[in-house]
Amino acid sequence: MTLRLRRHSFADDQPLMMAIVNRTPDSFFDKGATWAEQAAFDRVRLVVEQGAEIVDIGGIKAAPGEEIGVAEEKARVVDFVARVRSEFPGLVISVDTWRAEVGDAVCEAGADVLNDAWGGADPELVDVAAAHGAAIVCTHTGGVTPRTRPFRIEYDDVMAAVLADTQAYASRALEAGVARESIVIDPAHDFGKNTFHSLEVTRRISEMVDTGWPVLVSLSNKDFVGETLDVPVGERLLGTLAATSVCALAGARIYRVHQVLETRQTVDMVWSIAGRRRPAQAIRGIQ
Amino acid sequence: MSRIAVVPGCLALLPAYASLRDPVAPLRVAALSAVEWLGPDVEVVGSDAGRRVGAALLDEVARAGAPAQPGDRDRLVVLNGSACRTEKAPGYLDPRAEAYDALLGAALAGPDLAALKDVDLELGRELLADVEALPALVDALAGAELVSVDYADAPYGVQYWVMRWERP
Repeated sequence: MTLRLRRHSFADDQPLMMAIVNRTPDSFFDKGATWAEQAAFDRVRLVVEQGAEIVDIGGIKAAPGEEIGVAEEKARVVDFVARVRSEFPGLVISVDTWRAEVGDAVCEAGADVLNDAWGGADPELVDVAAAHGAAIVCTHTGGVTPRTRPFRIEYDDVMAAVLADTQAYASRALEAGVARESIVIDPAHDFGKNTFHSLEVTRRISEMVDTGWPVLVSLSNKDFVGETLDVPVGERLLGTLAATSVCALAGARIYRVHQVLETRQTVDMVWSIAGRRRPAQAIRGIQ
Repeated sequence: MSRIAVVPGCLALLPAYASLRDPVAPLRVAALSAVEWLGPDVEVVGSDAGRRVGAALLDEVARAGAPAQPGDRDRLVVLNGSACRTEKAPGYLDPRAEAYDALLGAALAGPDLAALKDVDLELGRELLADVEALPALVDALAGAELVSVDYADAPYGVQYWVMRWERP
């Protein structure tokens, strides 16, 4: 199915890189490297040069921490979205927020996608997406409160829960008026999940692809990679790319990433192995 | 009147082996243009692989033109020179390859039928040249004149030609 992210459309055989741009002083990977507006803007420019189709701008780190109210979140992202919009008209702008009020403001400023990492915690977010013709990412969190860590959450069948919740969320978005081709589902690795859950979700990601909804995966440098390989945050690229390969082979469409070039190469390689992408330039043995 | 064209049996010309960036773009342009120039009734002559390449090129172009007169079939001959022109060539660098290709290329462009008949097919096989169709080409070129040499290069260590002839 063609994917429409507000003013941008993509063919169904095209995998997309969604580059993470944090307007936060404390996110786990970059630790505030793009907290300053100009630094964040420079990061946008860099990932665009690296070929990212989407930037995912976030004003609040996912992990627990200092309470960030609506006004502060808006101050961090709304004007920034407007600046990115005017500088990069061809770029898809996603905003990582669960709040409808913030979603409304960033869509006004030109955002194309509302990336709700917290599984519909604010029920009005779908209405905001519908009102602006924006796309929405429907994640599974197991019903946890935003910015909480999973603690002793268990599932009879984690993928069954992911499928049920993300599809229910997608249906809710559809009923609210979000276009069918503008709804994306995301299992949300590590959100409401321990490492074993995230590994199983990765292993069974084809079940999500089989629903027909475009699948977004956010694997980048996460704790399930760190715990699986016993490596700290700065040493998780290889594990991330291994997980990325598994998701790419199954056909996940959008990759939310810190490292654009490495992920793009990984996905391109797997996409070609899967027969969905031609080699860049092959002549060996056929000249 | 009949027309004769030569193209190489380069497998990269097959749709199944298409890349995102065409590694043989100039060759493809020349080959398709030459094939398009042929009339609607074309016999493809070449080795097994060569005929596949020829048939694929024919499939890709919409050929118009007047219906052929009986006995005036055009010919698409698929052949190429050595595959030993550089160290990275499929057959590695063979010092005999350049002279072999020069001789064959000049004989084709003439066309010099006597020289073409003298071409050493055995040496050609050693140099991984696809010259199986050469005897048939010599027959077809009797009385023919060169129209154009559209392509003559060895971009990947393999000598390719695209040429056209016309016979009254």
